[in-house]
Amino acid sequence: MFQTLKKIFANPKQEKICDPVEGEAVPITDVSDPTFGEEILGKGIAIKPLKGRVVAPADGTVTVLIESSHAVSLLTDKGAEILVHVGLDTIQLEGQFFTAHVKVGDRVKRGDLLLEFDLDAIRKAGYDTITPVVVLNSNEYASIELFHGGPIKELDLLMRLMK
Amino acid sequence: MKTVLHIIQDKLGIHARPAGQIVKLASQYSSDIKFTTASKTVDARRIMALMGLGVHQGDQLKVTFEGTDEAAAAAAFSAYLKESL
Repeated sequence: MFQTLKKIFANPKQEKICDPVEGEAVPITDVSDPTFGEEILGKGIAIKPLKGRVVAPADGTVTVLIESSHAVSLLTDKGAEILVHVGLDTIQLEGQFFTAHVKVGDRVKRGDLLLEFDLDAIRKAGYDTITPVVVLNSNEYASIELFHGGPIKELDLLMRLMK
Repeated sequence: MKTVLHIIQDKLGIHARPAGQIVKLASQYSSDIKFTTASKTVDARRIMALMGLGVHQGDQLKVTFEGTDEAAAAAAFSAYLKESL
């Protein structure tokens, strides 16, 4: 009995991805940019942010930090490739209103601060701040369970991936 | 094997949107497709690796194609790169 429970909780084929941004979780298909909305980059969830912070959704390593600091991706210790992309077309801001707290190659723990951004300033500059959180290697999973039921806090359960 | 060389013209390089377009295009062919810069070679079907190339305007990119539809894939990528990157 105990062994069975232990197996369920320590299942190496299952991985939990936590919420990196406080806000409202909505289906990624709601995103107007087809790169995200048509799941070209992979399956995921979009967050309408209420707070200008991105924290690590799992333990892992920073693999990509776009120079303008509006997007960051992690390779988690269990093998998921997670991209957090703050806003749409925000690459055009060239880093303005974004601050990176990590660099490529850094080891991070779940909850570590990755990026900060000025939500109001980005909005005032005319950009949609919706933030897709995408599993870039979605095709390596048999199932991806998505939890997009409205308001969500940092580190709430966002996705469950099964190999 | 086919090879296409391209100098990046887009000032933003390969970020999320072009990476998605590259993967989508690559998935239409069965050939092995690789992107090579001065420092790295990556699989054109891996989004994170493409974004991790960190290419900039002015950088040279070499794209190689190997497989039964390599000629068609090379032609499609050559057109895409000229048009969009």
